Amino acid sequence: MSMYNIAGLNVSIEPVYGQLRSRCSKYLADDQSKKPQIRIAVTKERIRGFSEKTAELSAEDCEYILAGADFYSGLVHFNGMMLHASAVALDGRAYLFSAPCGTGKSTHTGLWQQYFGADRAIIINDDKPAIRLIDGHALVFGTPFSGKHDISVNAAYELGGICFLHRAEKNEIYEMPEKRAIYALLNQTLRPVDLDRMSMVLKTIDAVLGLTKVYSMGCNISQDAVRLSYETMKKGLTPQ
Amino acid sequence: MRIKEGYKLCKVRDSSIVVAVGDAVMDFNGIVTLNATGELIWSMLEQEKSEDEIIAAIMEKYEVAEAVAKTDYSEFVGQLKGAGFIE
Repeated sequence: MSMYNIAGLNVSIEPVYGQLRSRCSKYLADDQSKKPQIRIAVTKERIRGFSEKTAELSAEDCEYILAGADFYSGLVHFNGMMLHASAVALDGRAYLFSAPCGTGKSTHTGLWQQYFGADRAIIINDDKPAIRLIDGHALVFGTPFSGKHDISVNAAYELGGICFLHRAEKNEIYEMPEKRAIYALLNQTLRPVDLDRMSMVLKTIDAVLGLTKVYSMGCNISQDAVRLSYETMKKGLTPQ
Repeated sequence: MRIKEGYKLCKVRDSSIVVAVGDAVMDFNGIVTLNATGELIWSMLEQEKSEDEIIAAIMEKYEVAEAVAKTDYSEFVGQLKGAGFIE
């Protein structure tokens, strides 16, 4: 068993297959003797059970997905939540672009990297960043669980804004009314089934909405789309 | 008349929302957003108050006539029934 530090938490994982081990490697904790805050134990039985339901996935894919699910499920207990989003950091702030699969989250943050340069616009996590509230700040963390592509950094940035994307011919963006933002956030996170953990997620959403703005954007694949999302979200930044 | 098990009224910022938990998640995975009157009626239904008590509370809180309060009540309860939130 090895100890990892993910999203500021001590996480014990015992990887069976190479994929999980290699994706976690940059999160290995310096101090292996700490007490785990989240324990991830993906047994071979669970992997087998899961792979029976998802025939197209290999056993190591299944292990990786189950470990991610365990981590995000545990994260809820530490003022945190997963958001299904591609998260890009620019000038110290994290901008999260969320949407259902296949909409073009990664395409949009990829365009940010083209526009600003990949040394200035850094992909924190391309699929499932962790948001945590720490000392009154909303921080966005890279995690090893970043979807199909292993694109993540072991770093944290202050949340700058959240934007829900949909495809459109013409670029337009607006700030979402509170109720719609709550609905959109709940739709793109791991929604707990039990009341206790649901209350924790809603508490996190409550705090996130107090610290950052949430937008809805219709966008095409262009540099205009980047300028519009960046300039709008930058104007909406709350002071650090 | 009472709210089915598993539907919970929660407050997030200024919004009153209802979410499903437990087995109710199988039937409903959205959220219901309530206005102030809806919140009042829902929370009184949760406490298993009678129709008359709820109508009296609406009249008092919003200073409206009984007919208006009755309409508010029956419209809202009708919507909840239609959505399967009460039994």
